[in-house]
Amino acid sequence: MDNFALKVEDLVVYLDDLIAVRGVSFVINKGERWGLVGESGAGKSLTALAIMGLLQDGWKTSGAVLHDGMNLLQASDKTLSARRGRTMSMVFQDPTTALNPVAKVGKQITWILRHHMHVTQKDAYEQSLVLLNKMNLPRPESIMDSYPHQLSGGQRQRIMIAMALACYPELIIADEPTTALDVTVQKQVLRLLDAAVTERNCGLLLITHDLPVIAAMCENVAVMYGGRIVETGKISDVFTNPRHPYTKGLLASQPTLDNIDLDGGTRLPSIRGSVPPLYAMPDGCAFAERCDFATQKCKELPELDNQIQRVACWNPVAEARKGA
Amino acid sequence: MGRFILRRLAFFAITLLTTSVLIFTLIRAAGGNVAAILLGKNSSAEEIHKLSTELGLERPLPVQYFEWMGNFLHGNLGQAFRSKQLASHLIWSQAPVSVPLSLGGLILAIIIAIPLGTFAAKNFNRPSGAFVAVLSQIGIAVPVFWAGLLLSLVFGVHLHLLPTGGWVPWSENFVGALRSLALPVFTLGIVMASTLTRYTRTAILDVMNEDFVRTARASGMSRRVALIKVGLRNASLPLVTVLGLLAAEMVGGTVIIEKVYSLPGISRMILDNVTAREVVVVQSTVMVIVVYVMTINLIIDLAYGLLDPRIRVGK
Amino acid sequence: MSEMMQSVKNSLKRPRKKSRLPLIVGASITLVMVIIGVISMFWIPQDVNVSDPSIRMLPIGTPHHLFGTDFLGRDVTSMLMTGVRTSVIIGASAAFLSLFIGTLFGMLAASISKLDEPIMRTADIFMAMPGIIFALVLASTIGAGYVTTIFALTSFFTPAFVRVTRASSMRVLSEDYISVARLYGRSRLFITFRHVLPNVSSILIVQFTIYFAAGVLSEAGLSFLGVGINRPSVSLGMMLHEAVEQIGITDPLGVWPGLGIVILVIGLNLLGDGLRDYFDPRFSQRVR
Repeated sequence: MDNFALKVEDLVVYLDDLIAVRGVSFVINKGERWGLVGESGAGKSLTALAIMGLLQDGWKTSGAVLHDGMNLLQASDKTLSARRGRTMSMVFQDPTTALNPVAKVGKQITWILRHHMHVTQKDAYEQSLVLLNKMNLPRPESIMDSYPHQLSGGQRQRIMIAMALACYPELIIADEPTTALDVTVQKQVLRLLDAAVTERNCGLLLITHDLPVIAAMCENVAVMYGGRIVETGKISDVFTNPRHPYTKGLLASQPTLDNIDLDGGTRLPSIRGSVPPLYAMPDGCAFAERCDFATQKCKELPELDNQIQRVACWNPVAEARKGA
Repeated sequence: MGRFILRRLAFFAITLLTTSVLIFTLIRAAGGNVAAILLGKNSSAEEIHKLSTELGLERPLPVQYFEWMGNFLHGNLGQAFRSKQLASHLIWSQAPVSVPLSLGGLILAIIIAIPLGTFAAKNFNRPSGAFVAVLSQIGIAVPVFWAGLLLSLVFGVHLHLLPTGGWVPWSENFVGALRSLALPVFTLGIVMASTLTRYTRTAILDVMNEDFVRTARASGMSRRVALIKVGLRNASLPLVTVLGLLAAEMVGGTVIIEKVYSLPGISRMILDNVTAREVVVVQSTVMVIVVYVMTINLIIDLAYGLLDPRIRVGK
Repeated sequence: MSEMMQSVKNSLKRPRKKSRLPLIVGASITLVMVIIGVISMFWIPQDVNVSDPSIRMLPIGTPHHLFGTDFLGRDVTSMLMTGVRTSVIIGASAAFLSLFIGTLFGMLAASISKLDEPIMRTADIFMAMPGIIFALVLASTIGAGYVTTIFALTSFFTPAFVRVTRASSMRVLSEDYISVARLYGRSRLFITFRHVLPNVSSILIVQFTIYFAAGVLSEAGLSFLGVGINRPSVSLGMMLHEAVEQIGITDPLGVWPGLGIVILVIGLNLLGDGLRDYFDPRFSQRVR
């Protein structure tokens, strides 16, 4: 038995001649919580879908994704489906479209339990009630008997989380789980997710562009830009002493009470330029054209170095922390 | 669901009403003097006037309309001018031909098209799927009567398998009747199946791209199981809608097929009357056909309501 | 760059561009048919209505009668050419008129909310009625012929155009730049024509070809039944009608007109599909 829940090695995801994920590697050990941050289009969702084997037709992958003793990228749909929902599961972004509109919620949950855990319908029903209770959903019997359209977004998302947790997976991937919800509901759902993951000791890969959420829920973080991971490490390190210029810029541009003048006079610092489109990715570092520290060497693609807080950069932010 | 049913029934009633007015107006107003039409070209003004008064054509249109509607609802569909036959008898006599033909074709089309369309969707990126897609494209382009011609040439003439025309009444010989219907139903079914296959393929492809299918797969359903358990059930909604369109196509198809195979059904009856300009009979016959099609549409729409929990159960 | 990336880069394929073949084939076929039709207006081998029983039922390949003659000795080739012309004219006219009227009402329904419900209900009612029935009713009162057929087909197709135009217009109208135009004080009508129309036009062109094909098929069907085109005009469906009446369906005389219809319709369908792909934003490379 490996001690990691997921090991991604040099994952490349591409469609015809468009490379969207350009060589991503990381390891999630059992029980570890990782945040995957980056702007829209950085390749976070595609990475997640590639891991689960749920890419749309036409997309191809290369590299290795090791989980449950095998390379998922080389497995058949049948083999993968034995693991999806059981050893690894995913929570998607939009609760309005994520559930089957013509089937009762109860049926959708019990199917998972019956298929993977081979329990009887009765047992599956009971276990589902317990799951829904854990998700703080009142009157779970009535929810089991409802159709998705009769429930609110927050309720639906909690059901999705329940479905993802049902079989005590080694790894849960949550792709922007609260972005589509009302702000007031977001916190509740995140708290529930947090509690559930703790209780079951699952690995968590939380994908989001929302930095505070990552800080609250995860211990480790990987920063993605232009289809590659540019920095990884413990959150406590990365968020206080970012080594990659992009991470630094990202953190600086977060509105906090410190950098916003309440009478409206401030301009938030932002990173100049914009993300290069997929079809015009430079061969070297994708961030170079926007980077204040770029040099000629940056025309060569940097790999993650081997320090504890790893960065893929030829000119990482000055090792200032080593000093004062 | 209750409100849905009410709304649908209301639409049903209103459409029938409007259509009846439309038909009535078209025949009375657009065609010129009904009496003149019935009597033919060489009639004198006197004769026309006499007939007009007899048939009550001098009265204001709304009055005539309500009389017609009233009679219609009581089963009195008028009569042919020349033969004096009751329109209701004429219509009723061809029901044993047209109804089995039209419904048989529809059912056959469904039986063929749904599995075929599903197959085409499942294998959309493989030659087998593409082949079916192209086949259905060609099938749509083929006019119904031409298909009938070809099929009857092949099966009837060259293979001598099935009769290519003529009708054996049910009362006379049950098997004979079935044999006379075999080719016609087959032709109608195949033609409608082409359109239906195309729609089925599109509907299923669209559904398989939906988010909830992805969730189903993420929960552990293999592609195949997801298609069957989630995809088909959800695709049934747009498909049921398409069936409604098909029902209208079915009427046209039935009329043509009957002509091709010389079956004494609604086709012969209505065409003879149209060429003979028997407006009264045509009027009632058309109304009956519209009722038939609208009823099928009503059933289909209600089925849709039952299938979609968002309508059936509501909030 | 890692080895993996390098090997992927080396193995990359050019995106499979949607084949232009359907478009080219479809356009060619349609063009050929239209040309045949146009030629037939000026020259045909023989008058289509001159019967010469002495040369009846000649087989194909006979000199001077490429496709043979029918049961009355009339030249089939000439009839085919004229028939193609009729199909093209009727199909195109019906499609064009429905496009015109349907687009007008569709855009009205989309931009003026008060008109939306009545227009759509009327369209629904028209759609619920089988087209053939409508055509039959017209034929029994006004009499069959070119005009009746076009009129019947137009009434039959227009609701579909209304639906399509309304849906597309509504989609365009919900875009942000429309709100900006409204803010500038542009009238609804101006917005509709200036902004909605160009965006909707590609869809309309595709629909036009679809209904052109439908018109050809429908006219053929009506003429086959005897309530469409009649002598002295000639139509492919009418030829089949005569074949069935006179000789019965067991004679291959009906094969050629039917084939003509099939070819024309397939050509139009391919053209429509080709145009649809052509107008699709280049980024979508899904081959469906």
